[in-house]
Amino acid sequence: MSNEFDIDDVSKLASIELEESEKEKLSKDLSVILDHVKALSELEFEISVDEVFIHPLEKKLNLQEDVVEEFLTHEEALSNAPESKDGKFVVPPSLE
Amino acid sequence: MKIENKSIREINSLFQKKELKPSEFYHKIFDNTAQSESVIHAHLKLFEEENRNKAVQSDERFAKDQSLGLLDGIPIAIKDNINIKGYQTTCSSKMLSEYVSPYNATVINKLDQQQTIFTGKTNLDEFAMGSSTENSAYGLTKNPWNTECVPGGSSGGSAASVAARSSIAALGSDTGGSIRQPAAFCGLVGYKPTYGTVSRFGLIAFASSLDQIGPITKYVDDARILYNSIKGYDSKDATSITDEQIKIPSDKTAKVGVIKELMEEGISDDAKKEVEKVINILKAQGVEVIEVSLPLIKLAISIYYLIAPAECSANLARFDGVRYGLRVEGKTSYEMMEKTRAEGFGSEVKRRILLGTYALSAGYFDAYYGKALLARKNMIDEFNKIFNQVDYLISPTTPTAAFKAGEKTSNPLEMYMSDLCTIPANLAGLPSISVPTGLSKEKLPLGVQVMSKALTDDSLLDFAELIEKEVSFNDEPSDWIK
Amino acid sequence: MNYQPTIGIETHIELKTNSKMFCRCKVVDTDEPNVSLCPTCLGLPGALPVPNKRAIEFITLLALSTNCKITKQGMFHRKNYFYPDLPKNYQISQFDLPVGLDGSLSIVLNEIESEVAIERVHMEEDTGKSTHMGSGRIDSATSTALDFNRSGVPLVEIVTKPVIKSAKEAVAYIEELRQLALDLGISEGKLEKGNLRFDANISVASPDSNVLGTKVEIKNMNSLRSLERAIDYEIERQSKALSNGDVIVQETRHWDEGKEVTKSMRSKEGSADYRYFSDPDLPNMVLDDEFVNEIKAQMPKLPIEKRTELIKTGLTLSEANILSKSDSWIIELFQNVYSSTKNPGTTYNWIMGELQGQIRKLDISKPPYWFKSESLSEIINLIESNKISFSSGKIILASILENDSTPDEIAKQQNLYQENDSDKILEIVKNVITENIKVIERIKNGEDKLIGFMVGQVIKSSGGSINPGIAKELLTKELEE
Repeated sequence: MSNEFDIDDVSKLASIELEESEKEKLSKDLSVILDHVKALSELEFEISVDEVFIHPLEKKLNLQEDVVEEFLTHEEALSNAPESKDGKFVVPPSLE
Repeated sequence: MKIENKSIREINSLFQKKELKPSEFYHKIFDNTAQSESVIHAHLKLFEEENRNKAVQSDERFAKDQSLGLLDGIPIAIKDNINIKGYQTTCSSKMLSEYVSPYNATVINKLDQQQTIFTGKTNLDEFAMGSSTENSAYGLTKNPWNTECVPGGSSGGSAASVAARSSIAALGSDTGGSIRQPAAFCGLVGYKPTYGTVSRFGLIAFASSLDQIGPITKYVDDARILYNSIKGYDSKDATSITDEQIKIPSDKTAKVGVIKELMEEGISDDAKKEVEKVINILKAQGVEVIEVSLPLIKLAISIYYLIAPAECSANLARFDGVRYGLRVEGKTSYEMMEKTRAEGFGSEVKRRILLGTYALSAGYFDAYYGKALLARKNMIDEFNKIFNQVDYLISPTTPTAAFKAGEKTSNPLEMYMSDLCTIPANLAGLPSISVPTGLSKEKLPLGVQVMSKALTDDSLLDFAELIEKEVSFNDEPSDWIK
Repeated sequence: MNYQPTIGIETHIELKTNSKMFCRCKVVDTDEPNVSLCPTCLGLPGALPVPNKRAIEFITLLALSTNCKITKQGMFHRKNYFYPDLPKNYQISQFDLPVGLDGSLSIVLNEIESEVAIERVHMEEDTGKSTHMGSGRIDSATSTALDFNRSGVPLVEIVTKPVIKSAKEAVAYIEELRQLALDLGISEGKLEKGNLRFDANISVASPDSNVLGTKVEIKNMNSLRSLERAIDYEIERQSKALSNGDVIVQETRHWDEGKEVTKSMRSKEGSADYRYFSDPDLPNMVLDDEFVNEIKAQMPKLPIEKRTELIKTGLTLSEANILSKSDSWIIELFQNVYSSTKNPGTTYNWIMGELQGQIRKLDISKPPYWFKSESLSEIINLIESNKISFSSGKIILASILENDSTPDEIAKQQNLYQENDSDKILEIVKNVITENIKVIERIKNGEDKLIGFMVGQVIKSSGGSINPGIAKELLTKELEE
């Protein structure tokens, strides 16, 4: 199973541009790890993923009242912006 | 006893009786810090200036008998993945080197209510991913017991700070053992509370269903005090719980199970010896101790190293250079994001993001992440069954004592295997504490881990205190205590 | 070859809650950027989502009113993809356990009522807004500016099954869905503000084929008009392509409003891998029977119920449909006036035609406060009993809209009551004949057109209000002698 791991595909999905020098080591490391988890991936279970509770203590979601609370000021929101203009965050052009 | 070795209750008592002023105490601690930091490098940032003022204000309150609580004026170190408003929170990553938090984590707000003094932000493995603090982008933290060794991770800076007495106690975070393991490596108490009893709002997420904030302290009572101050339902955290504590026996009527699978291969003789020491002590007290088996524990590493990376791959997607943090320029925003993330993240973080992305991807979900979820559910059921037989489970906290820096960095899987004992508690959401019990042949500390079922935190702390008293571990990393 | 189209519609409805879906920031409608934010909707490190109860109530109302099965134990899932207006680079959405499944919505098209099958109704959060700076075209922008005010606003996504067969049917479906959202009180429903947005999935296949063709997604239709035109255009484009032996590429296309064509988008290859997994920050959402029953008890009158009631009055399906989608004051007016006139068609025409026309001319959105339904009833009844003419009725209505008055007062003031007494009319007719001997000559010589002129003279000489029908009848009789 581990030789199906394509580092280029996965790094594209993860939006990380890896250097060529990084790719080999990372691929190898991940193969080792995936080999280790292989035993788990071959087990059969009676329940399905949809029946599993997300919360380890199987808690249900508490819905909150629809009441407005102010939190960040405009300045606080932009305080760490690498680039901003006219109150908006600016990035290089994003094609649709 | 040296002042910096005293418990929080003892120090508070001195403050109350006006035999010691908070500002005097703070100076003493800060002197320790000045000496230790250049070698140990526990802190990434020290809040010296603002703390002088805070300590003076604390003086005034105690003088007027108007103190705010047990933690008033007590210097606590904070792991640098917990947001403090107005200060940098870097997660020991290049990605957030300039990031200044515009808000407080809930636990910080709670400690602020008592005017706890934050010594500063401590070093960690980048984004809490690691077991040695060697994955920090800002340099190593040394183990005060032996500076050639790692302090453990990911809360290595917090543990080293308490061990070197540059803080009285510290907050860390624990996803697979990141509080308990460094505590054990540094001869300290490390406590991971029941999942959901401490708010995660403001803790920079690694793996959402596993992370918990908890204390690293010299004494169980200090851990209890800190836990009581930070716990509680938080409406800002949907995984936070409201449930009441469940009481179980914490005296000699308690029943204890030793986990068979964690006393087998992979565990050093030194570590096994410490567990046997505790078993003997408990038996001498009249506590019933039996051997129990949790076969699914053998899968714990695999389950963890699929669930945690999967969750973190999504949790760390927000680091993209758009709204904050590092930005590397690109011709398009996609290019900018890809380059920013390549430069901002270290290799362990990249490893886990890629692993997690793969485990969730089309065609592989069922085999990897899907299976891990199902196995986790089975493990939780297994624990629940065992807790019908026993009240507490004990095991080594770590397979070995602290290893040397650089020893495990070439093989990630080897590093992961050292989390074997601690991971199960995170997977099942159980409260778990490491109590220091003795030294290895190399004179490095070892800890014994005690776990109990969910929501029995108070009882667990009581029981751990019983063990602490009987074990009477009094060794110190004396280089740092003057 | 006449290719048969198959259409599915995906609609997003913005819920009009006070605060956002996963945080308590205010839902704002402002041009000031980045003023309603918190760590959660800005995607700051350490932030966590907490769900909005009212949003869940609203989506449950919608799911119940579209006959969906409510998922008792649902989950939120993370939909993972990178885009600058998505602060966490994942959207909290729902995958295989959405709030509602397998529902339907009844629509009216061409006097026929039919059901549009609904696949699912699920909850998700909106993204921020991108503005591309530079030359104005997406593909030559120099930078993109981001406003996150909209990030985190609650969105309900409704997906139909691929059962819609024409552009008009698609429009009828959206109109019905929009009205439902309005009647449930869950959305402002303003298309121009983006409260309701839709994408279409279109494929065509030959009539004897038992498989669907390759589907193409069409985005960027901002009005019902563009929805209809885009669908028609795309059906034709695909049909032509298949006729030429070309293959339809599965892709996303943009509707270009200016050029009125769909255009291929230069986007990522293949379909995206969203790596859906259950959001560990949000425990399972249990919508138990108690909750669902509470929501059922809050259900207002649905468009289909209004329609059914109106049909009972004798209106056609189309009329009932259009009326059911009108403002509530119009429906109320109809019901009040109808109960007096007992004539559904006439009442409908007066309200939807003449009244609407007149208030539009006065540049108001509804009649003034003094306007009573009794006035309109009276006008209609007076016309029916021949006491006034139809055009007099229009005049009376116009007067009442400008001044607080009754039809009777106005008819008296303006001398609009028609004379219906044949003897009295005959007298006037005879007088007018004697005054217009020359015209009579011409009529007798065959210029029948001038009869209309003569009737007009009769009406004029009477002062305006005589029954024109009777006048013409009597005039014609006199001329024959």
